[in-house]
Amino acid sequence: MKQKSKFRWGMIFVYLFIAIFAIVTVFPFIYMILGGLMSYQETTTIPPTIIPKNWNWSNYQKVFQQAPFARYFLNTFITASVTTVVTLFTSVLGAFAMTSLKFKGKGFVQLVFLSLLMVPGEAIIFTNYNTIAQLGLLNTYLGLVLPFLTSIFYMYYLQSYFTAISPTIYKASKIDGASDWEYVWKILVPMSKGGLVTVALLSFISGWNSFLWPLLVTNEDSMRLLNNGLSSFANDAGAQTQLQLAAATLTVLPVLIIYFIFRKQIINGVVRNDLKA
Amino acid sequence: MKENQKKAWLFLAPSLVLITLFSIWPIIRAFLMSFQGGPLIDMHFNGLQNYKYIFVDPEFWRALKNTAIYAFVAVPVALVISIALAWFIFSKIKHTAFFETMFFMPYVTSTIAIGIVFRYIFNGEYGLLNFLLKAVHLPQPDWLDNPSLSLVSLIIFGIWSSLAFNIVILMGALRNIDPNYYVLANMYGASDKEKFWRITLPQLVPTIAFLLTVNIIGAFKIYTQVYALFNGQAGIGNSAMTAVFYIYNKFQIVGTPGVAMAATVVLFLFILFVTYLQRKLMKKVNS
Amino acid sequence: MSNDNFIEVKQLEKTYENGYQAIKSVSFSVKKGDLVCLLGPSGCGKTTTLNMIAGLLNPTGGDIIVNGKSMLDVEPKDRNIGYVFQNYALYPHMTVLQNVMFPMTVGKNKKSKAEAQKIAEHFMELTHIEDLADQKPGKLSGGQQQRVAIARALVQEPQILLMDEPLSNLDARLRLKIREEIRSLVKEVGITTLFVTHDQEEALSIGDKIILFHEGVIQQDDSGQELYLNPNNQFVANFIGNPVIDNFKVRVEDNNIIGAGFSFSVSELTPSRLPESLEDGEYTLAIRPENLSLDEDGLLNCVVDDVELIGRERVVKFTHDNLQERALIDLEQDVNSGDKISLNMNLNRAFLFKDNGERVY
Repeated sequence: MKQKSKFRWGMIFVYLFIAIFAIVTVFPFIYMILGGLMSYQETTTIPPTIIPKNWNWSNYQKVFQQAPFARYFLNTFITASVTTVVTLFTSVLGAFAMTSLKFKGKGFVQLVFLSLLMVPGEAIIFTNYNTIAQLGLLNTYLGLVLPFLTSIFYMYYLQSYFTAISPTIYKASKIDGASDWEYVWKILVPMSKGGLVTVALLSFISGWNSFLWPLLVTNEDSMRLLNNGLSSFANDAGAQTQLQLAAATLTVLPVLIIYFIFRKQIINGVVRNDLKA
Repeated sequence: MKENQKKAWLFLAPSLVLITLFSIWPIIRAFLMSFQGGPLIDMHFNGLQNYKYIFVDPEFWRALKNTAIYAFVAVPVALVISIALAWFIFSKIKHTAFFETMFFMPYVTSTIAIGIVFRYIFNGEYGLLNFLLKAVHLPQPDWLDNPSLSLVSLIIFGIWSSLAFNIVILMGALRNIDPNYYVLANMYGASDKEKFWRITLPQLVPTIAFLLTVNIIGAFKIYTQVYALFNGQAGIGNSAMTAVFYIYNKFQIVGTPGVAMAATVVLFLFILFVTYLQRKLMKKVNS
Repeated sequence: MSNDNFIEVKQLEKTYENGYQAIKSVSFSVKKGDLVCLLGPSGCGKTTTLNMIAGLLNPTGGDIIVNGKSMLDVEPKDRNIGYVFQNYALYPHMTVLQNVMFPMTVGKNKKSKAEAQKIAEHFMELTHIEDLADQKPGKLSGGQQQRVAIARALVQEPQILLMDEPLSNLDARLRLKIREEIRSLVKEVGITTLFVTHDQEEALSIGDKIILFHEGVIQQDDSGQELYLNPNNQFVANFIGNPVIDNFKVRVEDNNIIGAGFSFSVSELTPSRLPESLEDGEYTLAIRPENLSLDEDGLLNCVVDDVELIGRERVVKFTHDNLQERALIDLEQDVNSGDKISLNMNLNRAFLFKDNGERVY
C-alpha cells in the first residue's frame, strides 16, 4: 500500500515539474503577443492584465510608423537569405572536397578547421569589423553578409552526412563518366537533401536572429536588421511597453511560423550535430 | 583517379578564401592589436601596456568575475533542470514531440525580443513576477534596477534561454540508449530512481560533457542576453558587466581597440583553459 | 584477331605509402571476349588489381595495356569500361531507368534524352528488368539491383566489363542462377569481362580461365580444369576443390615414401610425372577425397569419425596423424561412424609438395 501512494506522489511531482517549466517556457511568447495588443494603461496597471480588453491592432500601425520595420524586415530577409544560400554553396563544395577527394595537405586543412571551430565568434568579430570598415563596406548589404558566406561548422556538419554515403557511389559516377561538378549537383546534393535542408533552416534562423555583428557594422537606420531595429526601438519607445511588445512579436512571429512548419527537420538537425560531436 | 588531386583546392577555394580573411586573419590581427595602442586608424606598438592596463582595471576584473559567476552558476543549474525535464518527458510522457517542440521555442527566437518580454515581466513596479510573488507573500525585489540583483536576473534569463538546446540534445541521446537495458532492469524489478541513476545517467555522460563544454563556452561569450535584459546597458551601474561587454566598450565606445583585443586574447585563453580542464575532468569521470 | 591479347597486365605493382605491398608483381593477359575470373582469398590483391585496371587506383609499377594502348595516365571515365560494384552502388534517389541512363547524361559523350532512354531500355531488356523502370533501387531485391548495376555498366558499350564480387551479397540459390545469367549475357554481348570472386566453385563454373591470387602474387593462370587437375603449388591445390584436398605428411627416404602408418615405393608413382630426381626429405602428399577408395587391404587404416550424406555421395571423415581427412565414396557403400576402414589411394592423381609448397609430382 505504501508503495502505491509513493508512486502517485512521484508521478504528480513529475507532471507538475514538467507543467511548470512548460508554462514558464511558453508563457513569455503568449504574453508577448497579448501584450502587444494591450493599451498603454493595461500594461502598467496592477494587477497586471493578461488578456487585453480590446485588441489594439493600432499598436502595430504605430510601430510601423515610428520605425521602418518594413525596411528592417527586408534587410533581415535579404541578409539571412544571401548568407544561407551562399553558405550552402561554399560548404557543399568544401565538404565534398574533404569527403571524396584525396589531396596533399588534407590532414592539415582538417586540423586547421578543427582548431578554428574552437575560436569563439566574439573573439574575431571586432577585427572583422575593422576589415569591413577598411573596405568601406559599413552600412552595406555586402558588409553585413561578407564574413558569413561560409561556415566551418556547417562544412563539418555536411561532411558527416557525406561520409555516410558509400564511397562506391562516387567511384561509380566516375566510371559512368561524370565530372566532379556533375557528381556534386546530380548525385551528392539530391542524396543529402535532409542535411542540406537542416543547414538551410538553421542558417536562416541564426541569420534572422543575428545581433552583435549588424550592431557593429550598421548605424544607419535604413540598413538596420530586425534585432537591432527592435532594440533601438525599445530604447526610443521608452515606457510604451505595449508598442515594444508588438514590435517584439513582429520580430518573432516569422521565425516561429517557419519553426512550427519545419520543427521536425530543425530539431533533428540540431540533435544530429551532437551525435557526431 | 589521381591520389593528389589539385582540383580539390578549387572546390575548397571559396571557403578557404573566406575563412582565411574572416576567421584566420582576424585572430592574428586581434593578437597583434593586443600589443598596440592608439585609435583604430592610427595604431602603434606599445608592448604589454594593454595587458598591464586590463590587469589593474577594476572594471575588467568585475567583468571577468561576473562572467565567471554567471557561467558557473547558470550552466550547471540549467543542465540539471534540463536533464530532469528531458528524463521526465522521455520516460513518462507519451507525446514527447509536442513537449519537445514547445521547449525548443526559445532557441529559434530572437533574444532581443524575448528580452523585451522579460524586462516587462521582471519590472519592479508593474511586472507580473512581483505581482505573483506578492500574492504568495514573498518579497518583491527590484529585479532590473537593483545593482545587487542584476546578475541574479541575468542568470535566471540565461537559464531560461539555455534549457531549449540542452533538452533537445538530451532527448536525442536518451533515444539512443538501447531500450533493452530498461527491459532487463524491469525484469530485475529496478525502481525508476535506480533506472535513472544506474543506467540512464552513465550513458548520458558523453552528452553531458558535450553540453557542459558548449554551454560554458557560450556563457563566457555572453553579450546579447545582457543587452536584451538591460536595454543596451550592462545592468544598472554596470553591475552586469560581462567580458564581451567590456571588450565592446573598449573597442567601440572608449576607442581603445588595443585594450579590447588584449581582453579578447585573455578571454579566449581562459575559454581554452576551461575547456581543457573540463575535458580532463570528464575523462576522469568516464573511467 | 580473337587470339590477340585484348588486356595485358605487365609486372603490375602496388605498394602503399605505409609500405604495405598489396600487389608484388602481377602479369597476365586476357583474350578478347573471354570471361576471366580473378580468384583468391581476402586480401590477396584481386580487387586491388581490378581497381587498377579500372583506374580507381594508381599502380606504383608496371603497366596496363588495353587494346594496344597503355592505360596508365587515363582517367576512369576515359577508359571505356563498365564496373559492377559489390554493393551495386545504385543512385538511390533515381529510378531504375534514370540509373541506367545516367552514364549517357553526363561527361563528354552526352546523348539526347530520347536516345539515351532507347539505349537504356535495350539493355534493361537484356537484363530482364524492363518492368522495374520506374522503381527506386531501395524497393528492389538484391538480384534485381544487381541486374540494374549490370545494365548501367553496359549502357555505354564499354570495351571491358569489370565485376567486383557481384554475387557475394546474394543468397546461395540466387547466386547459382544469376552467375549463369551473367555468363550468357556477357557472351551474348561479346564483352571482355573480368570477374573477381573468392568462391572457387563460382570461378570454376563460369570462367573461361581463372587467375588465382595469393598475397599479391599470381599462383596460377589457367583453365579451371587445369587448376584442379594440375595445380602449380600447394596453395592452389588446397584452394581449389570442394571438399578440400587431403594432405598427408610424408618422408622420402631411399626411394620410399613413408607416412604415418603407411609406406610405399616411389616406383608406385606415375613415372611420366616424376621429376628427374626426388631428394630425400619432408614432403606433403596431397590427394583429393574422390581419389581415395575403400579397399580391404589399402594403404590407410583408420577409424571413421563421422559420415556426411550429401545427396549423391558419402563424405567419410577420419583422423590421420592428427589431421582431419576426407574420402568421397559411393552412397551404396555402407560405412558408418566408428567403423574401421581401409582406404587406397589413386597415386596417379596424387601430388607431392615440398615444404615450401613447390610441386614436384
